[in-house]
Amino acid sequence: MEFASNFSDQLNVGLILPEGIVVATLLAVLIGDLILGRRAARGLPYIAIAGLLLSIVSLYFYWDAENPTALLGSFSGDDLSIIFRGVIALSTAVTILMSIRYVEQTGGALSEFIAIMLTATLGGMFLAGANELVMIFVALETLSISSYLMTGYMKRDSRSNEAALKYLLIGAASSAVFLYGSSLLYGLSGGKTILPEIAQGLAQVEGGELASAIALVFMIAGIAFKISAVPFHQWTPDVYEGSPTPVVAFLSVGSKAAGFALAIRLLVVAFPLEQPQWRLIFTALAILSMILGNAVALAQTSMKRLLAYSSIGQAGFVMIGMVAATQAGYASMIFYLLVYLFMNLGAFTGLILFSLRTGTDQITEYAGLYQKDPLLTLGLSICLLSLGGIPPLAGFFGKIYLFWAGWQAGLYGLVILGLVASVVSIYYYIRVVKMMVVKEPQEMSDTVRNYPAVRWNLPGMRPLQVGLVFSLVVTSLAGILSNPLFTLANTSIENTEALKSASTFLEETTAQNKEVSLADPMAPAIVEK
Amino acid sequence: MLSALIWIPVIGGIIIGFLPNQLAEKSRSLALVIGSIILAFTLAIGLQFDPNQSGLFLSESFSWLDQLGLTYYLGVDGLALPLIFINSFLTLIAIYTSSTKLARPRFYYALLLFLSAGTAGAFLAQNVLLFFLFYEVELIPLYFLIAIWGGTNRGYAATKFLLYTAISGALVLASFLGIVWLTGASSFDYDVLRSQVLPLSSQIILLLILLAGFAIKIPFFPFHTWLPDAHVEASTPISVLLAGVLLKLGTYGLLRFGIGLFPDAWNLLAPYLAIWAAVSALFGALAAIAQKDMKRVVAYSSIAHMAYILLAAAAATPLSLTAAVAQMISHGLISALLFLLVGVVGKKTGTRDVDTLRGLLNPERGLPIIGSLLILGVMASAGIPGMAGFISEFIVFRGSFSVFPIATLLCLVGTGLTAVYFLLMINRVFFGRLPLAFSNLPAVPWSDHVPAIVLAILIVTLGLQPNWLVRWSETQTASLSNFDTETLAEVRPASRSLLQPGQSIKESQWWRSL
Repeated sequence: MEFASNFSDQLNVGLILPEGIVVATLLAVLIGDLILGRRAARGLPYIAIAGLLLSIVSLYFYWDAENPTALLGSFSGDDLSIIFRGVIALSTAVTILMSIRYVEQTGGALSEFIAIMLTATLGGMFLAGANELVMIFVALETLSISSYLMTGYMKRDSRSNEAALKYLLIGAASSAVFLYGSSLLYGLSGGKTILPEIAQGLAQVEGGELASAIALVFMIAGIAFKISAVPFHQWTPDVYEGSPTPVVAFLSVGSKAAGFALAIRLLVVAFPLEQPQWRLIFTALAILSMILGNAVALAQTSMKRLLAYSSIGQAGFVMIGMVAATQAGYASMIFYLLVYLFMNLGAFTGLILFSLRTGTDQITEYAGLYQKDPLLTLGLSICLLSLGGIPPLAGFFGKIYLFWAGWQAGLYGLVILGLVASVVSIYYYIRVVKMMVVKEPQEMSDTVRNYPAVRWNLPGMRPLQVGLVFSLVVTSLAGILSNPLFTLANTSIENTEALKSASTFLEETTAQNKEVSLADPMAPAIVEK
Repeated sequence: MLSALIWIPVIGGIIIGFLPNQLAEKSRSLALVIGSIILAFTLAIGLQFDPNQSGLFLSESFSWLDQLGLTYYLGVDGLALPLIFINSFLTLIAIYTSSTKLARPRFYYALLLFLSAGTAGAFLAQNVLLFFLFYEVELIPLYFLIAIWGGTNRGYAATKFLLYTAISGALVLASFLGIVWLTGASSFDYDVLRSQVLPLSSQIILLLILLAGFAIKIPFFPFHTWLPDAHVEASTPISVLLAGVLLKLGTYGLLRFGIGLFPDAWNLLAPYLAIWAAVSALFGALAAIAQKDMKRVVAYSSIAHMAYILLAAAAATPLSLTAAVAQMISHGLISALLFLLVGVVGKKTGTRDVDTLRGLLNPERGLPIIGSLLILGVMASAGIPGMAGFISEFIVFRGSFSVFPIATLLCLVGTGLTAVYFLLMINRVFFGRLPLAFSNLPAVPWSDHVPAIVLAILIVTLGLQPNWLVRWSETQTASLSNFDTETLAEVRPASRSLLQPGQSIKESQWWRSL
């Protein structure tokens, strides 16, 4: 029986209970829809939200789990994954709040939509903890394929179809590239698929620098697609513009968080020796994303596209933490993603509310909104100003943490570019705020002039209001009270064994190489490596 | 106690912002009450001050974000106290002079109070990151105050202000990050940073970044272009606050952080700063001569007068630093008075154009009291003895002349030009025959006179009793200028090369031999 208990130890299925809860919720939503029909559909979104919150609560009980590996080492439930899984589940919960009314008003079937979104969440959560190449790929594809489905959910809208097709084609290509990189890695490491073993395998290979560099580049390309870093961003504006807005919100927050989780785990754990290389690549990605994302956002006239480009720029800021490659860097990435979740979802909630009531998302149509809808104006303004990094809102503190971590790691150029980029970003965020707040009643746009009376008691409006107020409150206060949140992010990095062992592994190997080079002066190549 | 200066206006602003519709009319009275409470608090704090002691006489400290080194550390000393007083005082005046028939009064007064809170916070902050936070906090309220209640071209001016100040903030932050990182200090606390020693080369780089940041805010030539636009478009109370208080954030930053954190580099760059001050003063004065809009004249004169502070700071003698603070106060009061009166003229006549206005001093049908007060303000600004402007400018030049004779003389020329442009303005606007177009001006109610009269009394009193103007900051600034006794006691390794053995850095001011 020893074998069995040992095996169940290794399997450690209990660790994926939070995912299990999501699966159960997913099934409940699907079956509930089938059995009870349209009648009960009203309650299903709330069941989904309750399930997600339950899953977040259950994550709490696995904080600092004694044995954080499950499924024979292919899934890691360490604190790093817990915090990312929490972010992903939370972003879905908020997204569902905003999609209830949207999907109903646009005539889709809500419970199917929620089922697909829960599947995407499941993929994202598994991706955040995936520790093995096959697991990573399966989770990634679960996330991607459900995202394709969601982008094309408005099947009668040709733009939604276009978005889905574009996303599918580019996404499939990037998955293929990622898969090719994984296969190279598999071969190079001598048939290993578990990330820490890959790192050891790679260290023993001689003369495989080029191949491992190619594998690295291919895998980063796959990740960069998910986090829509420039130059892998081309799909973003079109997909964001065409897809249903709640989906865009999910893509820009939940899916991105999953991408960053993958980036940290894959690169730090599997490529500790290639750290200079991937830091270099991420420097380039960060620079390009910050410049292009913020510069192009200046010229946008549609709110949705503005948020699309701004999210590219925001990803650029987050990548500063990745390039820093220090504990403070990763912790500030996590903190920024946490506050980004609220401010960006708050902005999307505002955008959805406005387009539900008026049917447009042109920035000029927001003129004079404060007269008709003060709550929406306040919520959207605060979230946008926070995205622009205005104190004392959460985004300001998030940026300060990131810039400070980057500065400590010696990335002066990058931080200064980040400062400049945030000044630029203030300009386009304030443009929208100006439209809403500054314009006089006589300058009001026709849309706002015919703005319907604000009624929160219509079906599906209450959740939107809750989502907006919740994001507004968190965005206003999360920065000032950021101490516990940042401590949480910091401890999660500190307690994550995988990151620690990767850095010790790096030190040991460098020390060994030094010894080798001291013993054998004819081996300069290894020293350089 | 000190937190009250920040939190009373914040909470008051939030209450006013969320007043129900029926009570919107009351927001002005409520704001006045809050403004008076803040002023009372400021006076109460001032009473605890002992002018003979340097250093913080009141402070509050709580840990806030330890990982960042950001502590909630407020303190007030002789340098900050007069500026806090000016802030509370001018906030009340700005609330008082705001029109009673404003559109969206709740939002307006809430923003005004937020602005006051942010400025007070910046003057009180003893942690450089906290200073930066407050420095940025006042950005958005001021943006809205200009953009919503401004003149015809307000959108452009407000955005320009916002971008310039945001860049200024980014530079200041870069410099602060730099000093903490290079010294390896554990926190951003001001006194921790002050005790650190940096090599001269990095001091110079960081100081240059900081200077560029504050030069935009103050502003100095050639970073000044946002200021005239902002002043022209802003409504009168906002102009008063902008010139009277917000620009002082920059000069306060120069004194507190420029001299305080980078003493050696400051010493080295001082001659260039003095030249810059002279250029900026002359540019401001000459540009003011060419202006046709009264508000623009005052705005450019503001650029010229702020440059004297740079001159005094560059000289960094105990006297000149006291003079710098005195000049901040007197400029705060004088420019507030000028903007107030120009605002009244603009409101009553419908124009501020120097070429159209004539003969407003006409005792029967013109604006005689406003005119007289404006003449008084102009005299104060030009440095006529008996008024605050004379005292501060005199000690600026007296303190700086021994160090930078040429730059001081050039600045003196600038003062002379003050008389030129203001007399040109006064001559056109107030003397001569009142044209028919302006012969039926509406009467100026007493409520419009009160703030200007209060300011005028203050200006004259401080001119006759200069001790009240300089006594506040004398001890504190003296300790700031003490490079030789305090900070250089352990002669810094990097700056040693510049010094002869046994020579203090004051004596080594190399340009003196020029």
